Amino acid sequence: MAKSTFNLPAPAPTITRPPAVSGLLAPTRFMRLVALVLFIAAAVLPFISASPYLISILTSAMIYIVLAMGLNVVVGYAGLLDLGFIAFMAVGAYTSGILTTQFGWSMFESIPVVVLACIAAGLIIGGPTLRLRSDYLAIVTLGFGEIIRITAKNLQITGGATGIHGIPTWSFFGWSFKDGLELGGITFNSKILLYYFVLFVGIGLAVVAVSRLGKGKLGRAWKSVRDDEDVSEAMGINGYKTKLMAYIIGAIWGGFAGTLMAAHLSAISPNSFEFLYSALVLMAVVLGGMGSTPGVIIGALFVSLAPEFLRDFSEWRYLLFGVLLVVVMIFRPKGIWPATAVLPFLKKRNIEEVPPTEAVTVVGELDDEFGDELDGKRNANEEGTR
Amino acid sequence: MFQLIWDGLFVGSFYALVALGYSMVYGIIKLLNFAHGDLYMLGSFIAFVVIGGFTGLMGIGSIPILLLVLLISMLATGGIGVLIERVAYRPLRNSPRLSALITAVGVSFTIEYAVRQIFGAEPKVFPLQLSGQPMQVLGARITMPQLILMAVAAVLMVLLQRYVMHSREGRAMRAIALDQNASLLMGVNVNKVISRTFFIGSALAGAAGVMAAAYYGTIDFLMGFVIGLKAFTAAVIGGIGNLYGAMVGGIVLGLLESFGTSWFGGEWRDVFAFGFLILFLVFKPTGLLGERVVERV
Amino acid sequence: MFSRTTRMKRTLTLGALAASAALVLSACSGGLASGGETDSGDGPIKLGMLAPFSGSEAAFGDYMKFGAQLAIDEVNADGGVAGRDLELVTEDDACDATASVAAAQKLVTAGVKGSVGGYCSGATLPTLPIFADAGIPMVIPAANSNELVGQGAFMINGTGTQQAEAAVTWINKEGAKNVVIIDDNEAYPKDLADSIEKQATGLTVAREHVNPDEKDFSAAVNSVLGKSPDFVVWTGYYQAGGLLIKQLRAAGYAGPILVGDGSVDAQLSAIAGADAMTGVVGTFTRTPDMLENGAQWIEDYKKVSGGKDPGPYSIQTYEAVKTIAEAMNVAEGTDYDKVVAGLKGLKDFPLLTGNLTFADDGSRQGGGFVIVEPTGDGGAFVLKDELKG
Repeated sequence: MAKSTFNLPAPAPTITRPPAVSGLLAPTRFMRLVALVLFIAAAVLPFISASPYLISILTSAMIYIVLAMGLNVVVGYAGLLDLGFIAFMAVGAYTSGILTTQFGWSMFESIPVVVLACIAAGLIIGGPTLRLRSDYLAIVTLGFGEIIRITAKNLQITGGATGIHGIPTWSFFGWSFKDGLELGGITFNSKILLYYFVLFVGIGLAVVAVSRLGKGKLGRAWKSVRDDEDVSEAMGINGYKTKLMAYIIGAIWGGFAGTLMAAHLSAISPNSFEFLYSALVLMAVVLGGMGSTPGVIIGALFVSLAPEFLRDFSEWRYLLFGVLLVVVMIFRPKGIWPATAVLPFLKKRNIEEVPPTEAVTVVGELDDEFGDELDGKRNANEEGTR
Repeated sequence: MFQLIWDGLFVGSFYALVALGYSMVYGIIKLLNFAHGDLYMLGSFIAFVVIGGFTGLMGIGSIPILLLVLLISMLATGGIGVLIERVAYRPLRNSPRLSALITAVGVSFTIEYAVRQIFGAEPKVFPLQLSGQPMQVLGARITMPQLILMAVAAVLMVLLQRYVMHSREGRAMRAIALDQNASLLMGVNVNKVISRTFFIGSALAGAAGVMAAAYYGTIDFLMGFVIGLKAFTAAVIGGIGNLYGAMVGGIVLGLLESFGTSWFGGEWRDVFAFGFLILFLVFKPTGLLGERVVERV
Repeated sequence: MFSRTTRMKRTLTLGALAASAALVLSACSGGLASGGETDSGDGPIKLGMLAPFSGSEAAFGDYMKFGAQLAIDEVNADGGVAGRDLELVTEDDACDATASVAAAQKLVTAGVKGSVGGYCSGATLPTLPIFADAGIPMVIPAANSNELVGQGAFMINGTGTQQAEAAVTWINKEGAKNVVIIDDNEAYPKDLADSIEKQATGLTVAREHVNPDEKDFSAAVNSVLGKSPDFVVWTGYYQAGGLLIKQLRAAGYAGPILVGDGSVDAQLSAIAGADAMTGVVGTFTRTPDMLENGAQWIEDYKKVSGGKDPGPYSIQTYEAVKTIAEAMNVAEGTDYDKVVAGLKGLKDFPLLTGNLTFADDGSRQGGGFVIVEPTGDGGAFVLKDELKG
């Protein structure tokens, strides 16, 4: 078609668009600032207290956040109930575990294979089952989770029921975290280095990348499919492909979290990938707020750190989680920090009230032959049927 | 060979009982009651408590005592099922499916770990145990307890079938399964019928639990988890929402597992069962006896 | 786009953050910038103990804790180690790898100088590098997977290999030729089953696996009977073992059954039923009631535990503490290399379960496994054969 040579002026809007909020208390800027502060606090923390225990549990918590962000893509953005998400973590952990212990690869080199393995797993698991209804999907994903765990337990190459141990920590082209690092007179041992690695690469990538993805075109497609798949299909979105993308992306993040965990614990076994753990990470996402980044982070921190701080009450832990899940679903289904929530003290856009349009002309009076007594009844009726 | 068939039929009858409840609940409110397997476990624990309260009163190992305990346990489990529906599922009847499913997971956890808190994590020995001399039939070892339990299961299934197919309340259930709003308009008390369905389904699961406890001898708080998954598999194989399907599916699953483990080894048993589940869902999601349900937009 | 004031506000905020970070950095102690913790040379020597205090194995935590405490009290009464008292610090590993890693780090932070814990092998394996990196010698009382051998830790409990040796000795003593070994596919039992199969030279060996979460083992039972064995071995735990024995007997198998130490528990008899237990034996390391001075030891234990009976691995943990205390005495301190040398140098160190010498790979020479049978009260296992000679 030829380029149009005449310019039609755009019609003026009926109302003037309210200006965007700016300043420190604008929601996006504020949240970004909060995130930056927390990030810096986490980075500075080892300088305040380098106790191995604290570093260890914080590294575990951060890996859990990466895992939860992965599930957030599947459950929160795309609305697919996945009860076997821990299987992807298992795939990632075992792949890097086997490659590093039996084939002598470095962790870094194993990453591309981990990604490929997770994509394959996502395709195998999601491919046939994403055409099913959501209820069936839930149980099937659970079944797959169990299949992967039992297979890992039965095969020799995955170490059988004992699992794999002696997994080395991260190394890039010959330099391993194990050797430690000297910077400005301060020695960083391997655990601290791993902590920073997880913080910058894991959290940095996961949180930023996943939330950006959620706000982009793919994210909107997911939201649309989640709300009503038939309408989305009518609008031209391939529901199946969109859901599969969500599954695969979630799988990749789960696998990455698995690799990190393998490096952190240096030993993995099938017992770490039971259904219980799939349910726990689901709880983290659901309790925190499906589809909301700060919510999921809070949920992940809660689920991973609460057992540590409540070591004395560990027996009640799962009972509490179960009850919480039911209560939250009934009373606050969107979670503690819903996806669309904004902190109350932040600025919101002022939207002017649009005045109702005036009538154009009056056509005529209604010929009222029944008199005023019916007017009362008619009004009453109108009240009732509103 | 016949041994495998017999063992498969025996285990399959348990699966069928639990699958019936699963299927009924799904048929009527389209919810996969994740906590259904835990009702099976509850049934056995309630029976445990009941018998514990009456030890020494009558002889152990007698069938009439077992039947009495079975009845009490069924009533109690049915009641708990109704309670769960009122508390956890009814508020979410109009919520998206995801919320209801997640709630079901939460209920399952709550039941499992509450039982764990009360009774401990160790398996408990069930005080009333059935034992009998095996008889050789067609090269298979058959014991009296097995026959009796299968007979009880069959009786329960027949009663259920008569109820659903030939009674007014059963018709109401089927109506709600077809179209909930229309049934409401036709004067069916939807809430009451749903509660009744939960009662029956849970009672059946509880019955299976008591029988399994008496036959195998131990109960533990996680025994419902595996059964729940198997029951779902059975329901899907037979055609979910379809009563005959659940029965057929249970038997078929039992046979499949029996042959599968003898071919591949015990450690692959669950993989085998889940593999079949996935195959069915991919290639024949309506199951063996299910009908195609048109999804209304 | 941004007004001047907002930009200034942002810079100020960031600047404030950076300044505070710098302040904190410079003023901190105990962080990265400072040096690590060193042993001050006086004050009590802390011994750390990882054991399951929650989860399915929760009962064993207390058995091990009180056994250790008894040993510590005795050592302190004797003058302590190199003039210092011993102190016990326990942490819960919940038999789970993630929890045990965190718990091990907690112990390291608390400044323990020796580790005397470790029940679940799967949870103990990941803690090996943590303790090794921190220079803390490990004497493991209970966990005995073959994977732990040769990793720098010292084991009080006999390993899977040694237990298999005892089992095979017994099988040969009974004159059996056709053996079926059943395991539940868990780490330790599978290990043990593999070791038995490897050592059972000259015998026909077949393997079966069951899923311990199930209750119905009919497929495995059929398979076992199809092989017409004259000896059956079960290497798993008593929860499934009891059911398996019951079903085997019901199906008509009347021959001998040997169970591994995971099933040696009175509960096995309760679950299987007393009738099924004839012909059942087990391999186990000695428990206090099997010892000559056992009664006295049990009395002392009860004083520490507040009246509770000892259980499996109480005595092994007691011995672990005594062993490491002896090594520290020899090393005159807590220096890692010296203590390890001290442990390696122990020759026939007298312990209640026999004299202790460590082999080069850290395992205990001899193993100390005996054959027990469930003829005690309520099906408790008592000594049957010491397998000597």
